[in-house]
Amino acid sequence: MAIAIQPYTADLIPAVKAFNQRLRAGGIPLEFHFPENNIPQWLPKVEDRRLYQEYYLAVDGDSVRGGFILKFQDFFLDARLQPVVYYHLPVSEGIVSKAYAGVGAHMLRSALKLQPMLFALGMGGFDRPLPQMLKAMGWSLWAVPFYFRVNHPSKFLREIEPLRRSRSRLLLARLAARTGLGWAGVKLVNAVRTKHWWLAETSFAEFETFTDADNELWQKCRRHYKLIAARDCQTLNILYPPKRNFLSIKVSRDGQPIGWVVMLDTQMRDNKYFGNLRLGSIVDCLALPEDAWAVIYAAKNFLEKRGVDLTITNQSHAAWCGALESAGFLQAQSNFIFAASKPLAELLRPFQDNQNQVLLNRGDGDGPVNL
Amino acid sequence: MSSQLFEKVRGITADILEVSPDQITPQSSSENIETWDSVHHLNLILAFEQEFGIQLEPEEIDHMNNVERITTILAQKLNHHG
Repeated sequence: MAIAIQPYTADLIPAVKAFNQRLRAGGIPLEFHFPENNIPQWLPKVEDRRLYQEYYLAVDGDSVRGGFILKFQDFFLDARLQPVVYYHLPVSEGIVSKAYAGVGAHMLRSALKLQPMLFALGMGGFDRPLPQMLKAMGWSLWAVPFYFRVNHPSKFLREIEPLRRSRSRLLLARLAARTGLGWAGVKLVNAVRTKHWWLAETSFAEFETFTDADNELWQKCRRHYKLIAARDCQTLNILYPPKRNFLSIKVSRDGQPIGWVVMLDTQMRDNKYFGNLRLGSIVDCLALPEDAWAVIYAAKNFLEKRGVDLTITNQSHAAWCGALESAGFLQAQSNFIFAASKPLAELLRPFQDNQNQVLLNRGDGDGPVNL
Repeated sequence: MSSQLFEKVRGITADILEVSPDQITPQSSSENIETWDSVHHLNLILAFEQEFGIQLEPEEIDHMNNVERITTILAQKLNHHG
């Protein structure tokens, strides 16, 4: 019987559970298992809301051999409404049984037939199977720049995973931490790289809920980005609801709001990248490009005051990258990949030239998971 | 199975999977060729489409995990296209 791609309905829940059990038996971690509820917990389809997810399965008789998720949302391309669909969590039995090596390609082709204007985001690096398959299919890919700023050097040197991967690096890092050389070195870097802007006229305040007043900023900003996901107040309150862990601040100048930023402050435990560091993340943000520096400075200061050991972010737009560098952030290798299907890449032509005119960060895609 | 078509399939398969053509038989499949994983499977599909000027349907793609089936499906597609 041919494998058929179909929407995930309640009667297929047992088959999905059995599929996940086979993945587990094959050593696949939980983060790559498919949801065992056919209604998405995050972004379910609600009335006529334009931000929602749909689950699809690769069904083989009574068995499920794979699945993927499509997230529907409005983007603005050159300030015009452009629906774009996010393709994520494609998982196939091919990763544990080579008899199903073709399911991944089948799902990808089917998703493109359903929604040609697709993108993928994250994926862990260019060398992973999904980015390789997308590239083979003619998608265009770039890495969304990754920035970090060390606030507590000694702890950073002890805990950061890339420094622990080789014995020599681990010894050097420990030596630097114990002697204070590492602390001094990082503080010197921070001092040299941080350009101190005249910030007297800006201020920031925490808030919980986006309001209609934030729509004015959104209307102003969307014209200044080549491609940007909708960031009106209704969408933002869905993505960053109060009573979750999000920390949001609004930045003002002379009493007028000029931008906002959503952050996380997370104590990591044995994290494969960040060890046991207390991690500050700049998840999402919005301002006119010329005000990016004020928002980044506010976020940096806010998280530092809270006592995070390390602040990180991924940002694609040149203005935000420049603001991060001015605020003393360093750039490191990024495994946060943006991939655009051929029709979407065509709209972004010339693709490589436009990548720093697009606003993409960890608020896009499947949100700040793992942070 | 047309031997001419099989030889073409064999050559492309060996090239994409980075094995010697001698290792490719009609029974060769994703289950007995180590390099035949999801990524290489997609590359095989794309290579066949380019070589023969055809477009394979999603439903055909996961059937094509065995050289004999690949050859059969391609033969049907090529006959259909005349």
